[in-house]
Amino acid sequence: MKKTDADELSIANKEIAFQHQEKEDRAAELLIANKELAFQNTEKENRAAELIIANKELAYQNEEKEKRAQELIIANRELKNAEDDIRKLNEELEQKVIDRTAELEAVNKELGSFSYSVSHDLRAPIRAINGYTRILSEDYADKIDEEGNQILRSIISNSKKMGELIDDLLAFSKLGRKQVTLSEVLMSELVQSVRDELVFDEGDNIPVFDVQPLPSAKGDKSLIKQVWINLISNAIKYSRHKPSTKIEIGAYEEGKLAVYYVKDKGAGFDMQYYDKLFGVFQRLHSQEEFEGTGIGLAIVQKIVDRHKGTAWAESVLDEGSSFYFSLPKF
Amino acid sequence: MDYDDIEILFVEDSADDAILTIRALSKSGFSNKLHHVVDGAAALDYLYCRGIYSGRDQIQFPKLILLDLKMPKVSGIQVLETVKSDARLKSIPVVMLTSSNEGPDIEKCFELGANSYIVKPVDSDNFFNAIKEIGMYWMILSQPAH
Repeated sequence: MKKTDADELSIANKEIAFQHQEKEDRAAELLIANKELAFQNTEKENRAAELIIANKELAYQNEEKEKRAQELIIANRELKNAEDDIRKLNEELEQKVIDRTAELEAVNKELGSFSYSVSHDLRAPIRAINGYTRILSEDYADKIDEEGNQILRSIISNSKKMGELIDDLLAFSKLGRKQVTLSEVLMSELVQSVRDELVFDEGDNIPVFDVQPLPSAKGDKSLIKQVWINLISNAIKYSRHKPSTKIEIGAYEEGKLAVYYVKDKGAGFDMQYYDKLFGVFQRLHSQEEFEGTGIGLAIVQKIVDRHKGTAWAESVLDEGSSFYFSLPKF
Repeated sequence: MDYDDIEILFVEDSADDAILTIRALSKSGFSNKLHHVVDGAAALDYLYCRGIYSGRDQIQFPKLILLDLKMPKVSGIQVLETVKSDARLKSIPVVMLTSSNEGPDIEKCFELGANSYIVKPVDSDNFFNAIKEIGMYWMILSQPAH
């Protein structure tokens, strides 16, 4: 063998050995790579399993959402039904209000024509009774004895009284139907003019007036004037039997209201009968003591009521009365 | 009956009110030349010389008309309207008489040209005085427009 051949063989052997080594290294690398792949596979499988669970969860949630959507549709439908019901009820209510208003207007109208008939048709026969009795007592007095003449005078005074009652009742019923027109009412001026109208003769029993400054109110001037007329004329009337006496008129403020008062030192009344005081045709004094039909304070209360105010009174019998009424301040 | 020399034309459907009014007028000295009719139709017949009044002198008119408001057939308002829209009649004073102050009548009457509006008082003293004052004012104090 030639040295060269041996060398070549040795080189070839070395080369093979090297290649072998290379292959082994590669195999080892492949092994590691395989292991890595196997691990990644496991991971992917785990992930796939998780995804399946997650999918199931999603499917479940979707189902729930659909159920919820279904429920919402039902709830919406119910809501819409409820809304329809409410709308229908509102419409019915509105119709009822319209109907009721029409009814009330009809009743009001009826009341108006009723008042008209009462005042027209009842006054006429009473006027005839009063008038004919007057003719009897004037033209036939000498043919009728004293008792008969006394009876004629009673018929005259009673029929006159009935006329007054009818007029008062009408005035009172008119109040309920009268439109209330609100504006500023200058109370000091109003009270001054009412006082001047009521105290026209300087008799012995005219009380001294002590009128304090009065705040303006929001009200219907002609109606409020009627309140003052009734209260002040009452104060004068019930002070009549006291020799020298004073009527005090004043006011104080209470929140959004002004409270006005008329205080006299006249006959007063027993607080025991207070609940009758403002009643229609209620009287706490006899006709002989103090004349009147008993409509004045009922009118006062009705007017004050219509202004959303309050009327009340305090009194001590034989010492005097205080009448109060509140009105919205201007 | 002589219808020409009439000073007061009294239109009233209620017999009672008529008796009481005529008595009050006569006691106050105003009843001489009064003519009483019981409804608005008769009042217009009188004023226009129609029907039973066709023989009446067309130129003679009363000095005063006392006119009840509520009457059958032709109402006081209608008579008032006719009188006040007739050039020959409108200067005659018309005093409206009514049983009540209820209803929309008052304004309507003044709008139509009523000269006065009296709510007949229930009390006979007041009734008497009211009628007497009407007579005094319209028959004596008031000067005719023409």
